[in-house]
Amino acid sequence: MNILVCVKQVLAAAVRIFPDADSHWICSESDEYVMNRFDEFAVEAALLLRETMPAGRVDVISVGPERAEAVIRRAMGMGADNGIHVVTETHGYMDPAFTAALMAAYVRNRDYDLILTGVMSEDDMNGQTGPMMAEMLCLPCATAVIHMEMLGASAVYVEREMEGGVRDALEIQLPALLSVQSGIHQPRYPSLSRMLRANRHSIEMIRAEFPDVPTSAVHVARTAFPGKIRAGCFLEGSASEKAARLLKILQARLLIR
Amino acid sequence: MNSLIVVIAEHADGQIRPITYELVACARRLQRLQPADIRIVVLSDPVETLAETLSQKTGLPVDAIRVPHLTGYHGDVYRSVLAKFLKDLQPRYVCTAHTSQGLDFAPGLAIRLGAACITGVEAVTEINGDICFTRRICGGKLVADMVTDHPQRVLSILPGSFSADASEAVEPGAVFCKTATSTTPVRSISRGILRSSVKASGIMEADVIVAAGRGVGDKDNLELIFRMAALFSGSAVAGSRIVCDMGWLDYAQQVGVTGFTVQPSLYIACGISGAIQHVSGMRASGFIVAINSDPNAAIFNVSDVCIVEDMLTFIPLFIETAQHQ
Ligand SMILES: Cc1cc2nc3c(=O)[nH]c(=O)nc-3n(C[C@H](O)[C@H](O)[C@H](O)COP(=O)(O)OP(=O)(O)OC[C@H]3O[C@@H](n4cnc5c(N)ncnc54)[C@H](O)[C@@H]3O)c2cc1C
Ligand SMILES: Nc1ncnc2c1ncn2[C@@H]1O[C@H](COP(=O)(O)O)[C@@H](O)[C@H]1O
Repeated sequence: MNILVCVKQVLAAAVRIFPDADSHWICSESDEYVMNRFDEFAVEAALLLRETMPAGRVDVISVGPERAEAVIRRAMGMGADNGIHVVTETHGYMDPAFTAALMAAYVRNRDYDLILTGVMSEDDMNGQTGPMMAEMLCLPCATAVIHMEMLGASAVYVEREMEGGVRDALEIQLPALLSVQSGIHQPRYPSLSRMLRANRHSIEMIRAEFPDVPTSAVHVARTAFPGKIRAGCFLEGSASEKAARLLKILQARLLIR
Repeated sequence: MNSLIVVIAEHADGQIRPITYELVACARRLQRLQPADIRIVVLSDPVETLAETLSQKTGLPVDAIRVPHLTGYHGDVYRSVLAKFLKDLQPRYVCTAHTSQGLDFAPGLAIRLGAACITGVEAVTEINGDICFTRRICGGKLVADMVTDHPQRVLSILPGSFSADASEAVEPGAVFCKTATSTTPVRSISRGILRSSVKASGIMEADVIVAAGRGVGDKDNLELIFRMAALFSGSAVAGSRIVCDMGWLDYAQQVGVTGFTVQPSLYIACGISGAIQHVSGMRASGFIVAINSDPNAAIFNVSDVCIVEDMLTFIPLFIETAQHQ
């Protein structure tokens, strides 16, 4: 049972970002990068599956510039066996079809039974990379998986999370691709000893130039701050002045006695 | 010949979902920018009643595809039936819903059709002759205008972005019935629909909701949220998905697309970034107050009152102020 997990490096959620006219993408106040939070759940799910399946391995793959190596190491620190880094030059937006094609090119002719992705990336929020990759590899696919269980060695039982507390249950033949919803398990922290081992372990590096990769089809024309849909009155002054002001506003509206 | 816009109807439990009419509104918007015909495609078994409803409500032509034994949604079936059907029609746009159904089949369908795919579209505008598709990025902190030269586009439309036409069509559209053949999914077999037993814990009835996001930092700090809630009568504590995923609050208290939709008189969002999946569950609240340390947090765009402060120091201050009045 060999599992591949796709992990993406993204800016930490707390980093302030701004539209960037030059790159048509974003610029940030600092460059603190982390593993896409949704991918931590995918890594955790893979590690738990490996425990139930003897003789299997968990590999992680990431497409990104040199700095992306950090998330591969982190996943190895969590317990993944091997890391693959598809090195790109792009720092701006990358079309998910392009990312998916790069990873699909790596996967082709390799023996993965299961490929896991996060449900979406925190920065691009496309939710496309996984299902596109599945299609490119002609694999069955299910998204937003909130529960999974192996059915022997050739199938997996999954529950997809739908709106309104409804789950869609499926039995899927392997090999397959699943996108994992958050909350499926608590992702573990990398252990120090594993982190040290991961740092010694080599990562397979691949240049992102496969001949059959389509040219990027969707581009970003510009980015901007979103418009407001409510008054959005910012309270001014010291924290205690704001507290007093908020109380007055709520009292005036009879929302607090 | 006019180009074509196809709307894929979303339905569940034998009912057309309201988002379908929002997709029609989006298609009409696209049609105003570039002349095109609009058709609705609906997949089910039986399919006639669904198709009739669609044709009467919208006045648009409907392709009713009966897929033997398909009652609900099935990803493999949707992708293969739609790819086959749409290959011949060569639509310029395929409009799907940005929901757990649409997001499951749209990207794969785009690959099968060789089309470009843009998900989470909130607005369509024309800028300098380019049709731009606006979508949120980075947890909603920014929006991006996406463009493509590709002649065929599969879009997923964010619920709540286009207002559906409330009036019924004057004349129903024509219904074209078809039956799809050999669609038995072998690679993924449906095992049915499971309904969660999680019931909202008091948040649906609450008049005031104090909601915690990841900004609360620690489970122990939730005590502040509960103390804040205690200032109001008829109040309840809720949380973002992350807070529930961490086990700090129960899923019965989660607000958002995959949680509960609430509409209290007052919603106080503490340390919540304002991701659309959360906002869609609380934006109808009467009055919204947000406390966040990031002045650019997306939650401020949907709030009446915005407070840029560290919630861990501000909330105790507010409680004290309220108690000493
Ligand atoms: C298919 C799908 C379904 C989803 N369904 C839901 C759903 O139903 N409900 C839901 O909530 N989410 C849902 N999500 C997740 C959603 O996309 C966001 O990830 C989530 O809402 C973010 O939660 P948050 O705002 O608590 O955390 P974050 O995004 O991490 O935001 C934390 C915020 O706290 C602020 N902050 C940090 N420290 C402080 C401090 N000391 N004082 C004040 N502010 C501080 C930060 O500036 C930041 O804005 C879903 C996602 C997907 C993909
Ligand atoms: N550059 C990347 N490298 C590795 N995996 C990725 C990359 N981009 C996206 N993914 C995977 O695809 C998922 C969905 O991403 P997206 O389509 O950008 O929302 C993520 O959660 C990752 O698992």
